[in-house]
Amino acid sequence: MKNQSKPDEFYISYAPVPKGYRRFLFRFVPLLVIGVVLFAGLLPMVHNQFNTGKLQGTQELEGFLAAEPVPHLVVPRPGNIGDNSPFSRYLLTGGGKTAPSADILEHLGRWVKLTGTMVSRNQLSVIATRSAEPIDPPASAAARPQEGKPIGTYTLTGEILDSKCYPGVMKPGQGKTHRACAIRCISGGVPAVFRVQNSRKDVLYFLLADQQGKAINERILDLVADPVEITGDVIQYDDMFVVQADPDSYKRV
Amino acid sequence: MSVGYKAVQWNRQKRIYDVILWLSVFLYLWGFMTFTEKAGDNLDTHGVAIRAYGSAAFILLHIILSIGPLSRLNPKFLPLLFNRRHMGVTMFFLALAHVDGWKILKLPWELFGAKAPKFPWDFNGALTWYHDFGDLDPLVSLFVGNTHYGDFILFPFEFLGVIALFILFLMAATSHDFWLANLTAPIWKALHMGVYLAYGLLVGHVVLGALQTNKHPSLTIAVLVGMVWIVGLHLITGYREFQKDKKALFLTTNDFVEVGTIDEIPESRAKVVIVSGERVAIFKYEGKISAVSNVCQHQNGPLGEGKIVEGCITCPWHGYQYLPESGASPPPFEERIPTFAVKVEGDRIFVSTTPNPPGTRVEPALIT
Repeated sequence: MKNQSKPDEFYISYAPVPKGYRRFLFRFVPLLVIGVVLFAGLLPMVHNQFNTGKLQGTQELEGFLAAEPVPHLVVPRPGNIGDNSPFSRYLLTGGGKTAPSADILEHLGRWVKLTGTMVSRNQLSVIATRSAEPIDPPASAAARPQEGKPIGTYTLTGEILDSKCYPGVMKPGQGKTHRACAIRCISGGVPAVFRVQNSRKDVLYFLLADQQGKAINERILDLVADPVEITGDVIQYDDMFVVQADPDSYKRV
Repeated sequence: MSVGYKAVQWNRQKRIYDVILWLSVFLYLWGFMTFTEKAGDNLDTHGVAIRAYGSAAFILLHIILSIGPLSRLNPKFLPLLFNRRHMGVTMFFLALAHVDGWKILKLPWELFGAKAPKFPWDFNGALTWYHDFGDLDPLVSLFVGNTHYGDFILFPFEFLGVIALFILFLMAATSHDFWLANLTAPIWKALHMGVYLAYGLLVGHVVLGALQTNKHPSLTIAVLVGMVWIVGLHLITGYREFQKDKKALFLTTNDFVEVGTIDEIPESRAKVVIVSGERVAIFKYEGKISAVSNVCQHQNGPLGEGKIVEGCITCPWHGYQYLPESGASPPPFEERIPTFAVKVEGDRIFVSTTPNPPGTRVEPALIT
């Protein structure tokens, strides 16, 4: 039973707001608004939305356009390189989530001047290609880059990612929310890379290929952006590492 | 009181309500994006906007779902309830922007084949950002990209969001009273109960999506606390209703049931009892007792929690009014609710177990 000594206030939306209701709203609504705005400050502090990957702008590079295991550019390193690899290797993509266009690929196996946007994150560098024109091989470099050097069989645990949006515009560019994008990229011909983190939290990238050294893009779409274990032969091509294994032997962990 | 249909029946309170609502949404979105920019560089600005809009919609849904039960526990929350549909429609547009950016604003240009201007606040929604620019139509990619439909952890969380967005669209599109009247209150109400299904789907969407990528424990805790809050609030309210409903009534004759005493009911207010499985509101006013169905014709609001204002039973939700003797809205309005015959013996009140057809005039019982 209501206390009759208090006014029996009743709220109607088209009538003036009773005093008790007004008092309550003046206290509650600001608290609610402050609470909502607090979330706007707190959520960005705990969200994973940063990394060092970025677009480095348009660049022109001269190098050898290699076809296997995926199209990539082999660029002689300038100056005295000491014991370092004589070449840097850059993976290639087209614009968007695609492979390099036919205009670029018609020059495979030749020296070219390549124009495109450099995308990089840690030691992973990819060029989103725009155009390529054939050039003569430079006198200072070998006409053809060296073959790969096998460095052993390893079991690696990591995540299969695309080499375009992961190092580029997507942050964090990995995990479940990125899966759809990585699948589109890899399905479209962007090289698939295997991101492995060692016990010291160093990140290593391996280009994925099958036992014959061919691209495996369409065969691994179901395993993209999940923790995966791969056992295979690691081949070093200058500063690029490729892990060759039968895609059917990849295991989700 | 019911009135003719207008796109929006603006009044001062609605304007204040909407200004506070939209200002809060703006502050949240602006704050989320600004604080993120301050926290570091090398940002994915599209990704940040996608998260800002998605989280804004999810937080707003928690507020929307809390208002109903809070109003049952304390009527002072009712001023937040009367215009709740504007919150719902706002929430749908936030969810749509999360998915599709502000493409909807570009439709007028695109319909005429013109190039739409670039709005400064525009961004690529999740559909474009994650599914477009590739070898498939983004709408196809959305459903066939991740195909682990048979797995719980790997499940394509996007799919849950798609169904939820569809439900939210149906609700937003039918939120106007025009649809309420044409679909009838029970069907409209059932359709709008879909918000609970949408909430469940969105919890799944967040848990299997955002929380699998962003593993900070405070995010998981926040979603969990939100869920416990919503479920707990509804359970508490439901339990209180159940306790009220199960109070035993004493049948005196086959036709009438004793529902309590006159002293139990404050002046101009009602007591709600279950008679033949239906809630009945028994009002005391000006030395009289009348009984009507507890269900408002507008949105099935609880009339028994209303008050007699200027001689009319007034619904606590949106202020629809009925004459207590006849259950009819005062002319020119046409809403009608069932009435019940009522008797008073001493201080005891008796109500007929059979309702009269809606709008049937019943002589009020006089308190002697």
